[in-house]
Amino acid sequence: MKPLKLSVSGVRGIVGQAITPELVINFASAFGTMVPAGPVLVGRDSRNSSPMLTDGVISALLATGHEVIDLGLCPTPITQFLVKNKKARGAVSVTAGHNPASWNALNFINSQGTYLNEFQGQELLDIYHLGRFKQLALKRAPKIIRELNPEEPYLEWLLGRLHLTPIKRAKFRIIVDPTNGAASKLIDKLFALLGVQLIAINNEGNGYFPHDPEPRPRNAIEVSSLVKITTADVGFLLNSDASRVSLVSEDGETLSEEYTLPLVARYYLKKHPGPVVTNLSTSMMIDQVARGLNLPVIRTKVGQSAIIQAMLEEKASLSGEGSGGLAFDFFQPAFDALVTMALYLEMMAVEGEKLSTLVKRLPRYHIVKDSLVCPAYRLHTLVAEVKKLYKGLEINQLDGLRLEKRDLWVHVRASTTEPLIRVIAESTSQHRAQMEVDRIMAFLRRLTA
Amino acid sequence: MRKFLPLKVSISGVRGIVGESLTPQLAARFASAFGTYLGQGQVLVGQDSRPSGLMLKKAVIAGLLATGCQPVEVGILPLPTILFLTRKMQARGAVVITASHNPSNWNGLKFISQDGLYLRSSEVEEFLDIFHQGEFTYVPAERIKPALSEKEAGYLHLRRIFSQIKVNEIKKRKFRLVADCANGAGATLLPRFLQELGAEVRFINTELSGKFAHQSEPTPENLKELGHEVRALQADLGLAQDADADRLALVDEQGQPLGEDATLTLSVDHVLSRKKGPIVVNLSSSMVIEDIARKYGVRVYRTKIGESNVVEKMLETRAVVGGEGNGGVIWPAVHPCRDSFTAAGLILEKLSSFPGSISQLMATYPRYYLLKDKFDCPAELAFKVVTELRRRYQRENTSTLDGLKIIWEEAWVHLRPSNTEPIMRIIAEARSPEKARQLLERFKGEIEQILKQMS
Repeated sequence: MKPLKLSVSGVRGIVGQAITPELVINFASAFGTMVPAGPVLVGRDSRNSSPMLTDGVISALLATGHEVIDLGLCPTPITQFLVKNKKARGAVSVTAGHNPASWNALNFINSQGTYLNEFQGQELLDIYHLGRFKQLALKRAPKIIRELNPEEPYLEWLLGRLHLTPIKRAKFRIIVDPTNGAASKLIDKLFALLGVQLIAINNEGNGYFPHDPEPRPRNAIEVSSLVKITTADVGFLLNSDASRVSLVSEDGETLSEEYTLPLVARYYLKKHPGPVVTNLSTSMMIDQVARGLNLPVIRTKVGQSAIIQAMLEEKASLSGEGSGGLAFDFFQPAFDALVTMALYLEMMAVEGEKLSTLVKRLPRYHIVKDSLVCPAYRLHTLVAEVKKLYKGLEINQLDGLRLEKRDLWVHVRASTTEPLIRVIAESTSQHRAQMEVDRIMAFLRRLTA
Repeated sequence: MRKFLPLKVSISGVRGIVGESLTPQLAARFASAFGTYLGQGQVLVGQDSRPSGLMLKKAVIAGLLATGCQPVEVGILPLPTILFLTRKMQARGAVVITASHNPSNWNGLKFISQDGLYLRSSEVEEFLDIFHQGEFTYVPAERIKPALSEKEAGYLHLRRIFSQIKVNEIKKRKFRLVADCANGAGATLLPRFLQELGAEVRFINTELSGKFAHQSEPTPENLKELGHEVRALQADLGLAQDADADRLALVDEQGQPLGEDATLTLSVDHVLSRKKGPIVVNLSSSMVIEDIARKYGVRVYRTKIGESNVVEKMLETRAVVGGEGNGGVIWPAVHPCRDSFTAAGLILEKLSSFPGSISQLMATYPRYYLLKDKFDCPAELAFKVVTELRRRYQRENTSTLDGLKIIWEEAWVHLRPSNTEPIMRIIAEARSPEKARQLLERFKGEIEQILKQMS
């Protein structure tokens, strides 16, 4: 079985198994066929396999008649920003975000700089499956423009939207682990401009992942110990394309990636009030924050594409997921870890509070996550089976199954990025959440045995 | 006539029309098949100046990377230079993105083995089996290597040629030349080559725009501009490369094209005057080769059309020189491949040792007249036509090595289906142009009649 995941925003799999040059060229050709003639951006993360995918993508875009602006190593949020900045027709970001080094993916971005919405994604898949791609005779040599410093216009824009003076005055010391991903080195520039003393680890951009490039406590041990040793104000852990971030507070506590959204939400929403969009799997902490400000929370399917689509439709101010991906409408409708880190520093500077203090103000929930590997073709059938455990309860089926009972909610869904069933429960009681997850996992294991 | 898909997969690689049959998908699949065939190692990736080269190069690099090979981009370079460098740089093989003399909307891939030769027919078979089975040895991400780029390697090729010819003798003649690179890959190195041979040169068509200045086959019509410049400049000689610079055509000091066989004639004669040994040429090369061989008492081997056939036979017979009558000279002392630079070096050396002009030099050889024609003919029909003609002429002195060649005293005719395009070629040679024309017409008539009978 070669795991290959098609989703509305792209295609993802293990390199050499599902991800082959031909598959990459076919998908990029479908994208090149879909978007009108004009420049298309191509950026990539630092994975070993990313140049291979990038070459395939560029070749397909040239064959379908596009001019290519090659951004080289470039975080996805910067690629998204540059689509509008350079008036491009769209972009392809080559990165598997938080997945291990053996994986890679193509992420397709529309002319608005956002992930393809479900309609555009469906159109892309239709063209892909039909297999009739636009092909030009290339009578004139097609153009590839190599952008050497793609981050410059982005940094200028970002700085223009921050309260620089308090940040600079605070003279923060921070630890950042960009996991040798696309934001490596670039963070040096960003934090120098913010007047922050940066201690960076895994900052080589060489694609060697010292741990899985997923921002979560178990990968943040190095950051945590450095925060303590250097008495830093905060620690940040990024994924490979700088779309997600998790936090380490100044006392060295590795915070669950679930905290990234609610911790900054109050500060940001006070300045930019508006609805909040999150997914069905994200912690209820955000509901507490929004309720305090009398703002609604809208819950969608999991994934950047669905979140951003809802954010734009609902004119939301803030959106994000429990995975540590956040989008701010004052900045751009894209999960952006660079914006998120900068806003954290702004908040800490303006409010003059320690991160651990802010954590204590949030209600304490216990979220338990587990997952079960399962063949891709059985994912959805098995998820539906779980309904049998909850006869008589009201079940939200927008994305898998989600239900609430007393002080607990449960979400069971098929991953869109891997052949996994994810089971998540949250409760004020650790024990209750764990029990519920265990019960569902045992049920699923019996079915798959 | 039935519409055919313009894609040809043959011993010399794959060729097709960009935007129709030659897609990036196909290029990547071929590259992955080649990477699988070679095993992991460095693979040179070169190209000619066609506008679609960049697109195909990216696909080829992706295909090679995915199979664990390390592509080394050498950029736009002459084909013989890439062949030479493959061996020189000890690469595992090379892929060249070129469709040689096909029109500029075509492109293709040529596959080169470790020794800097086109894949032998047996190797092509193995490689195509891998391609058709579609089971490529893709490596996991951690074994993908970074691509390299080597943009200055071309000079190594020139240095090799200089080490094999009498550079100082040539310099002494202070040649005045006109060189036509046809806006092909030759323009990357020919200026430097001729300059170091002390020649005063006027260059035409040296843009790497990929818009070939003229059809790059060196026929008299395509050499008009060159001839005009030679006369205007009162130059000693005009040199014309084809688009990938493996073939060379000549224009004499009066601006007259010297016939396609002149390049091979002069080169073969000159190499043999330095060192005797067997000659290998293809079936369509001029009879003058036999005349020269007789002069030196050496043996001539004739092969099927196609550079790789000639090279294979040359290596087998330890030939000292060989080539094809269309201007492709092979001198193993430099590298066993058709090479317009080698040919230019040999011819300038020959001319520098001759007291007269190039036209006087040509007059020392017996004169033959060679005529060529071609017509559209899908492969399976061509096969039937050839079978029928073989039957009709079985009593004559024939060769059925490649299509059908019928040989008389002082004349021959050769019919064969092309490997690279769905056409049939017909070539006739005789002692007078009228006789050659007569032969050509006679066989064209006969083929038309056979085609009519079949349809």
